[in-house]
Amino acid sequence: MTLTDDELVAKSVGGDAESFNQLILRWERPIYALAYRVIGREEDARDVCQETFLRAFRALPGFKGQAKFSSWLYRIALNLCRDWIRRQRRAPVMQMPEGIDPGELAAERGPVESIEERVSRRELRPAVEEAMALLPEEQRTAIILKEYHGMTFQEIADMQGCPLSTVKTRLYQGLAVLRRHLEKNGQMTPQLVKRT
Amino acid sequence: MTQTFTCGDHGALVSYLYDECEPGERRAISAHVAVCGGCAEEIASLGATRELLGAWSPPDAQLGFRVVSDAPRPHVSNVLRPSRWWQQPMPAWAQAAAAAVIFATGVTLGALRGTTATTDAPTSNPGGSNVTLSPATPGAVTAGDLSALEQRLRTELSQIRTTNGPATASAGDAQMFERVRAMIQESEQRQQRELALRTAEIVRDFDAQRQGDLTRIERAMGQMDGTTGVEVAQQRQMLNYLMRVSQRGQ
Repeated sequence: MTLTDDELVAKSVGGDAESFNQLILRWERPIYALAYRVIGREEDARDVCQETFLRAFRALPGFKGQAKFSSWLYRIALNLCRDWIRRQRRAPVMQMPEGIDPGELAAERGPVESIEERVSRRELRPAVEEAMALLPEEQRTAIILKEYHGMTFQEIADMQGCPLSTVKTRLYQGLAVLRRHLEKNGQMTPQLVKRT
Repeated sequence: MTQTFTCGDHGALVSYLYDECEPGERRAISAHVAVCGGCAEEIASLGATRELLGAWSPPDAQLGFRVVSDAPRPHVSNVLRPSRWWQQPMPAWAQAAAAAVIFATGVTLGALRGTTATTDAPTSNPGGSNVTLSPATPGAVTAGDLSALEQRLRTELSQIRTTNGPATASAGDAQMFERVRAMIQESEQRQQRELALRTAEIVRDFDAQRQGDLTRIERAMGQMDGTTGVEVAQQRQMLNYLMRVSQRGQ
């Protein structure tokens, strides 16, 4: 029988380390994926993931179940990512090239570069990664939580400690920058736009 | 409840895009998008961007973290780390090495047991021909067994000699010596024949080689003589020419 997160948490608080190991098994991949996408480095993401569970385990007696266990874990992981980024002198994974303002970039709608076919998926991944690295941390995190972890606007707002409208603005601005960058690199084809 | 949508409201467009808006708001945006090309294009391009984001997946990482707790204090001094090496499946080479070590140990123990059996085995049975061999495996014959067998053979041989008598034995020996001598002579003659044959072959090969070398040397000498002769003749012709020319000039 599969126990719920809450049941496993309760057993873990009671001193059952194996229950906590089950929670780790259940959540380590999403937490690692979140950390990797936010900080962009595999080894550091792994460290953040491990530290997240270590901190959660230590703080487990204080977890009263006000939020979902997964939201609590995400919050710890995001705080650790933020610390990591701060340690990297508040710089995003890839510095925005000099003279480029993300806001301007988002507003600007130049002509789409024409390519015959949509580039292969293998080429797409680094392009998306590169485009994501251009975003400011808050926009990148909002998009990651929404796109890859399926959180609601409200959950993201709680996670980021900001109003719901700010989350929507971050998502819009982030998506606009990504769109512009992917258009510039020929990833976004008119066919793809028409299809969606 | 009917809601309105203001063109260019990015927040509302995002809600529409992620399908996270009230039904009334959704209806209002849908109605607007149907007539507003700009908003329709915006929605379409943002949707395409979202589709492209699906290509970004993190690389596979070995995780497998586990909480290892100290039993009396479950929440203090716990270490979170990946599975230990002895908890992971043993690689094939390690299994093969372990098997080899076990086999070698078995062989060594077997050899040691064999040595012990040698010292314990009965050394001889002087009383008669009933010698009992060790009931060990066919390959495990000990020194004691061999000495017992030797003793048995000696006893049987001496019994046979005793029953046949000394005269018969001496006649048999003489015949045997004669036969052996004949065989030795025959062997010596055969070896001498082979030696002579071999020597003749070597001499013949040597002569043939010598003749060949001499022929080559003579040919080379002839070539040298010919070359020299031609040169001498040319010099003579030159001298004669010079003589003639000098006489004409006088």
